[in-house]
Amino acid sequence: MKKRAITLTINGEEYSLNVPVHHTLLQVLRDHLNLTDVKYGCGRGECGACTVLLDVGKGKRKPILACIALAATMDGKSITTAAGLSKDGTLHPVQKAFVDESAIQCGFCTPGMVLKSVSILEKNSKPTEEEIRFGLEGNICRCTGYAKIVTAVQAASKKMAAGKR
Amino acid sequence: MAESVIGKRIPKVDSREKVTGQAVYAGDMRMPGMYYGKVVRCWEHAHAKVKKLDFSAALKVPGVVKIIGPDDVTKKPYNTTVMKLLVPEIFGEVFGEIADLNIFNRVVKHQGDAICGVIARTEEAAERAAAKIKVTYEPLPVYMTVEASKAEGKKKNGYLFTPLKPGNLAFDLPESFFPGKRYGWNDKDGKTAEQLFSKCDYIIEDTFYVPKQKQCQMENHSYVAHYDERNRLNIWTSTQMPKPVQVLIAELFELPLTRVRLTQTTVGGGFGVRLGMIGEPHACAMAMAVPGHPVRMEFLREEDWVASETRYPGHIWLKMGFKKDGTPVAVDAMYSARKGGYYTHGSGPPFCAAAFLHGMYKWQALGMQTEGYFTNEVPTGAYRGYGNPQITFAAEQMITKMCNELGLDEIEWRKKWHKSIGDETWLKGVTFASDGLNDCLDVAAKEFGWYEKKKKYAKQTGVKRRGIGLAVMQHTSGAFPMLLEHSVCTAKLNEDCTVELIQQISDLGTGGHTVITQMAAETLGFPMEDIHLKSGDSDMCGFDIGAHASRTIYCAGPATIEACESVKKQLLERAAQLLEANVADLEMKDKIISVKGNPQKSISAVKIAKEGVYNYIDAATGKTIGIPGQIQGYSSFFAKHCSPPYGACMSEVEVDIETGEVKVLNLVNGHDIGKAIHPPSVEGQLEGGAQQGLGFVLTEEYAYDSKGRVLNNDFTDYKMLGPSDMPKAKIILVETAPDPIGPMGVKSCGESALMGPIGSVANAVYDAIGIQIKEAPITPEKVLKAIKEQGLRK
Amino acid sequence: MASSRILPEFELLLPQNIKEAVSALGKLKSKASVMAGGTDVVISCTKGFGSPNVISLAEIPGLDYVVYDSKKGLRIGAMATLQQVADNADVKKRYPALQRACAINGTPQTRNMGTVVGNIMRASPSGDCICAVLAIGGKIVLQGPKGKREVNIDDFYLKYRETACKADELAIEIKLPAISAKNAFARMTRTTLDLSKVNVACSLVMSGKTVKEARVAVGAVAPTTIRLKKVEAILKGSQITDEVLQKVVATVPTEIKPIDDVRSTAEYRRDVAGVMVKRIILEALGK
Ligand SMILES: Cc1cc2nc3c(=O)[nH]c(=O)nc-3n(C[C@H](O)[C@H](O)[C@H](O)COP(=O)(O)OP(=O)(O)OC[C@H]3O[C@@H](n4cnc5c(N)ncnc54)[C@H](O)[C@@H]3O)c2cc1C
Ligand code: FES
Ligand code: FES
Repeated sequence: MKKRAITLTINGEEYSLNVPVHHTLLQVLRDHLNLTDVKYGCGRGECGACTVLLDVGKGKRKPILACIALAATMDGKSITTAAGLSKDGTLHPVQKAFVDESAIQCGFCTPGMVLKSVSILEKNSKPTEEEIRFGLEGNICRCTGYAKIVTAVQAASKKMAAGKR
Repeated sequence: MAESVIGKRIPKVDSREKVTGQAVYAGDMRMPGMYYGKVVRCWEHAHAKVKKLDFSAALKVPGVVKIIGPDDVTKKPYNTTVMKLLVPEIFGEVFGEIADLNIFNRVVKHQGDAICGVIARTEEAAERAAAKIKVTYEPLPVYMTVEASKAEGKKKNGYLFTPLKPGNLAFDLPESFFPGKRYGWNDKDGKTAEQLFSKCDYIIEDTFYVPKQKQCQMENHSYVAHYDERNRLNIWTSTQMPKPVQVLIAELFELPLTRVRLTQTTVGGGFGVRLGMIGEPHACAMAMAVPGHPVRMEFLREEDWVASETRYPGHIWLKMGFKKDGTPVAVDAMYSARKGGYYTHGSGPPFCAAAFLHGMYKWQALGMQTEGYFTNEVPTGAYRGYGNPQITFAAEQMITKMCNELGLDEIEWRKKWHKSIGDETWLKGVTFASDGLNDCLDVAAKEFGWYEKKKKYAKQTGVKRRGIGLAVMQHTSGAFPMLLEHSVCTAKLNEDCTVELIQQISDLGTGGHTVITQMAAETLGFPMEDIHLKSGDSDMCGFDIGAHASRTIYCAGPATIEACESVKKQLLERAAQLLEANVADLEMKDKIISVKGNPQKSISAVKIAKEGVYNYIDAATGKTIGIPGQIQGYSSFFAKHCSPPYGACMSEVEVDIETGEVKVLNLVNGHDIGKAIHPPSVEGQLEGGAQQGLGFVLTEEYAYDSKGRVLNNDFTDYKMLGPSDMPKAKIILVETAPDPIGPMGVKSCGESALMGPIGSVANAVYDAIGIQIKEAPITPEKVLKAIKEQGLRK
Repeated sequence: MASSRILPEFELLLPQNIKEAVSALGKLKSKASVMAGGTDVVISCTKGFGSPNVISLAEIPGLDYVVYDSKKGLRIGAMATLQQVADNADVKKRYPALQRACAINGTPQTRNMGTVVGNIMRASPSGDCICAVLAIGGKIVLQGPKGKREVNIDDFYLKYRETACKADELAIEIKLPAISAKNAFARMTRTTLDLSKVNVACSLVMSGKTVKEARVAVGAVAPTTIRLKKVEAILKGSQITDEVLQKVVATVPTEIKPIDDVRSTAEYRRDVAGVMVKRIILEALGK
């Protein structure tokens, strides 16, 4: 097949799409749907700018790379992008922590970085600094040296734990 | 009065749009009728002649609109840099600046040179068509080293990269300006450094290698260009230098500035790579070929690698002479660089390497030569630090070695012999106005535990050896008086007494927009929320040279402050008139202007602002209500100095002597900021700069195959330190030496961050194994080889 | 010309069961590439090494298993991701070498997408799972038009990026024996996220302080990941003394044929491979 009809849920909205099979999820998000919060940084799986969270059921999600996922293989899947993390103008605690800690410079890595940080905390709500750093591997930031990003994840971890109590 | 926002850890003004992914980078733009442009580049050769171009098959690809080649665009050669706008014309001539690049080329001088351009209705169609363009090349020999290029250039009828540069010598320092082709000074008796070596007790001499490093900004170069129905050329780009690039485009396409509109989009990192034109000429040429249709052109990552500039690699030779007690006497030096395929910045960064050598220590005489030969490599240009990382890598290793060999305390030596207030900075005739280096050294040593660690690691056995290293640096805040440092700001008081700042501020992620807004709020005494910075549109903003030389806050901040002071002054003047008081007796708090000590006698600034705009006639009196005229403040500011900041960095490494692996365990960087307006932004510069500095010294460099093709044009093969490779970095902002000239006391921090980590890690490796690794990056391969060849020394 | 943003066109096949997959592969043979997680297949496309047909295993149900049986050992299905294997409790306990090779492989994102079988089938000389499995020992279960067969990992890698898997065969799973051997894996990279400059793994069956059986594998130092037979012979029947280890360190370079590439040099690889083997032996033994 050259094209495939798929349904894809993005940030809670269902899209019916007819995608060329050689198009990556990144192309579909950015070029077909103009969802430009997902970025192209390298196209080779190394930088994480194109990170999205894939729903794997039971409220769990895991980060994957839109640049090396074929959209045609994602029929019936549901994903979250950075734009979908905030609800009605309220930032996700991780986004809030990035803002508060000035963990953002040029901002190009930020959508992917925030999603990655969310996934770290969803898997392990109290990660050590080392676990955060290792978890952030695969998301390149050339601006911050990662220091304030790590601090932001730590801050979000604390806030989220306090929120749950 | 609104609480002061200076020095506060407030969120940045642009962080919300970035954290939700709504900030618009050029590649995110979508416009009606938009086409897609693709530059066809030469990937197979680093040096070749284009014999034939065949578009026939490509034109048949569905969706292709047009294909343009060298004959379809201006043949006017250009130079990517904006340098010629920064200096008087005579300067360019003396330095030998040339224009040697074309939009589309018939001779390929490096892999990635542009051959032609495809415009299509989709990006995919453009890509498919590009693949079908047949280019017939005649390969030419590649010259990848200074030696090869020089030898060829010396031959009779040898190959010349450009007839404008005999011998393939892209640049050296002109004798007419620099006696002995050296930058520096002679001693008080007129003796050169070379002549003084005979008077020295201790001389060291060495050659270092500095790598070809890539900026690796995360946003690839992307553009939208649109030649519109009014015959205006519009370009959206993330350039660092919007105004100068607008001017260069206008010149290249021979258009008046009124017909070129440049809009700076959100910049996804700069670090110097966007300091001139990159893809702008190509995007514009394509847009002009399809008037009425915007054309978007987004580089691929691999394209970014070969089609934008890099750091200047090469060899730095240094010879230093001292007295027994460590008194610095003379230094003679030479930076021999591989230029890459085009002239671009010419002698810029190597000259600045000489300049920063000039600015650091109190030698009796100093001379540094620079030269660069063309090679078939990706051209070199601006990269954060602009020569300073290179010279710091070499010079700080030499200083530490000298201290070791003469038995001197290297902290104390640096305290004693660095240039200070009243001494000449990196630039002749310009003297230091403030100096916080000793404080940087003291706080860093304390935080780091320098002396404790020194003792602890003095005698080590075992496989893993620790070492500590120190490096200091001085940099610059803008480049006045060498370069033009001009910024214009208009502060428009809205009728609701909020302020629109209209000013081109290049915020590459550095926090510039936040800091400028803070400065405006502070000057006016208004809350931050009442200030809005409008930036990026050349149709609207006055002149600004752009983001280079760590200048933004230091050089553009004063324009903001002056424009806001003017607004405040006008408000007070009107209030004085209305209150029948003297301006000098008035004060403004929370937008209420009152007579000092008599708060009853007051008027609201909001009222003045409103009445200035809505200046109605009172039907009863027939007179106007309030004072007419919308208030605007304006400043066209020229920097008065370059207030160099200092910095001291200490780092600790662990070297595995069986594998040569180097792990940076921690790093303390004390930075002489003068005054940190937004501390998180300053820290962010230093933390991020550390990642780039550590990359320079440990992992980053271009690799080429024998045909001059880049082997590592992606992040799989070009390695930067990741989050778990980065050491704990402690950044200390030293504010004990506010600068008397910098606005609110500030000095710069944008580029300063790289030098310390580079020099200190090199020295820490030296401390750990007793061997200096003179080639950066210091890879395990080099370390292990050195240990094998020289044996461990401590 | 290749592009890291726009892939070349290809046909995509999405078989719904193994039979369909095998029959499609039987027809297309080398004109098709099998895609599991795609972390390698798609990237090859971006580099201009695409195939006209891609057979994706994404929609075949039930291939993402990781099961351990104390007698039969470990079975890893073709669609089990690196992360799944890294997180598996039995793998952690019994196959630390494999666990490590999965846990440090690529990035969290590629570990969620990429599979262990894909890593094995990719046949890269620097493949981390390959090194671990070669040390542990195991079998690759292949299915072709003529049915299933099993190939011992020792016989699987023929030449640079060439395996015993025929063009019409699909890898269904890999099987690792139930072992009591102490095993470990380590690699050397330029930065944390990188492909291996050199990787090493070993699996040692101990009888008291004496090595009864030894398997030692090293990658990125020859056209395929290799076992170090001479080193294994030295270890077998020996106690791990400094002297034995010294002999090991000296022997390793004689068994490898490294090359220069962007990641390292032949000389360096030769210099450190021995040290790495020594260290992995000590690590496996908990020293
Ligand atoms: C950013 C990044 C980092 C990486 N880091 C590492 C690393 O650290 N270590 C490492 O070893 N590798 C690394 N890789 C390489 C690769 O991703 C892994 O090897 C991964 O395990 C491959 O699995 P996959 O399922 O994605 O394979 P795919 O891309 O789906 O396939 C890989 C190869 O195996 C074949 N294949 C896959 N499944 C089958 C099957 N069932 N039957 C027959 N053939 C099959 C394919 O045709 C292809 O040739 C990295 C890749 C990326 C993009
Ligand atoms: S764009 Fe997907 S990882 Fe870089
Ligand atoms: S903020 Fe610029 S790349 Fe991370």
